[in-house]
Amino acid sequence: MIPAAWYAPLPSFLWQVALHSAIAGVVLYGWARRLRLRSGRSKRHLLALLLVLPLLTAAIPGRTSLEFRERRAWLDSGRLLAIPLVAGVRVSHVVLLVGLTMVALTLWQEVLPALRRSGARGDNAPEPLARLARGLPGWERCAVTLRRADALLLATGGWPWRPRVIVSRGALARLSDDELAMALRHEHAHWQQGRWARSHALFAVRLLQCYSPVALWTFREYCLEVEIECDAAAVAGRDARPLTRALLAVYESTDRRDVAARAALRRRADVLLGDDRLDDDALPVATIATAAATLVAILPWLV
Amino acid sequence: MSPSRPLRGLAGFLLVAGGVLVALRVLHVGVPLIFPGTRPGPFSVASLEEARGRLGFAPLVPAYRPATLGAGPPSLTVTLGPHPTFLAVWRGAHSLSLTQRRGGPAPSHPPTSQALGGVADSRWWREGPANHLVLRRGEFWVTVVTDLPARDLRRIADTLGPYSAGGPGPARAGLRAPPSG
Repeated sequence: MIPAAWYAPLPSFLWQVALHSAIAGVVLYGWARRLRLRSGRSKRHLLALLLVLPLLTAAIPGRTSLEFRERRAWLDSGRLLAIPLVAGVRVSHVVLLVGLTMVALTLWQEVLPALRRSGARGDNAPEPLARLARGLPGWERCAVTLRRADALLLATGGWPWRPRVIVSRGALARLSDDELAMALRHEHAHWQQGRWARSHALFAVRLLQCYSPVALWTFREYCLEVEIECDAAAVAGRDARPLTRALLAVYESTDRRDVAARAALRRRADVLLGDDRLDDDALPVATIATAAATLVAILPWLV
Repeated sequence: MSPSRPLRGLAGFLLVAGGVLVALRVLHVGVPLIFPGTRPGPFSVASLEEARGRLGFAPLVPAYRPATLGAGPPSLTVTLGPHPTFLAVWRGAHSLSLTQRRGGPAPSHPPTSQALGGVADSRWWREGPANHLVLRRGEFWVTVVTDLPARDLRRIADTLGPYSAGGPGPARAGLRAPPSG
């Protein structure tokens, strides 16, 4: 059997979140594959749903009792967790190991870089670039910082009342004025239409599930979808080629071993070049709401 | 799919969700068939020996069992998780249920409960016709519920001992279920 501590309120809640996240993830992934769902608003809604919903369904109380698990539940995950593997090791041990690995991965790949970015200090950027950035709507007080690095970097940070653009010497040296301007417009799009607030809210939700591989994958997919959305906003009514060239330059400067980052850049370029088009209305809101309600009704019976 | 349909695409979702649910149910039912130890119970067991085998500890049973509890064998139930628990119930003119749980928090008892005189680590109270007794015995919590007179609680507590298949333990006589059929 799995340890009794697994059914204490906090461990039980954390496990339920991961379990519901995994099951909802399989369902939504299968559905998206079946629909051949393209990038766009519908996909972002489904990904956000997958991050938020398990926190709600796992919080429904009174479902850890033996009576509920044995007589009422559709699935008692305790049975799966108790499956023996080798030398006294059970599935629950593997689940614990995966959870701890994910926590370490989150600290290393997400929290530490975010802290480094927020505390980064640099020189003042060249005046034309700063003027260009501050000319964008809402960015009049934007801080533009030059990072002394040869890597190709152009990113935003800061807070809504004081946005910050960070640009590296490498980016200034390797990107043309057109490409820099489009990259700036892309970064600016991150601060428009509530994207900053939504991304940060979902990052907080994701951190609450830092032990869950599904939450990590979902949040990364969501971030990629937001990048694609910001690319589309940046090139709206303009020539997409400068931004595509900028992405290509970043792609070429990215370490070949960073397969995930390069795949994300390739996907963005595909959408920009029209090889893979955006579809904001792939699913009606009513369909997504009904699917969410169905998951809310189903998931509490899986414990 | 017509773009005007307000719920277009939902059929695909229901199909996938239904498939996943069926697969999960198959796991729920199938895993214990292949790995019997994965089910937490409760299981009915036929003898104290079987209960001991499943629980990994010797059940505590009282040597003092008045004839009014009936001549038949008690019903024996074992639960393996989250805390291994043994439950024995005698039913006759009077009834007695004894629950023995390894670990976990203390069984709840009302604030009006009091220590049973001469019995260490005990809480006793009355609720309607039933007398309740909670005892701590090493790593075990023992709960006794009976409609026997209150004076019998102390005898039950005093004669509580671990079942032993070979020795003259308190629980040998009359505790085996008759063979089925």
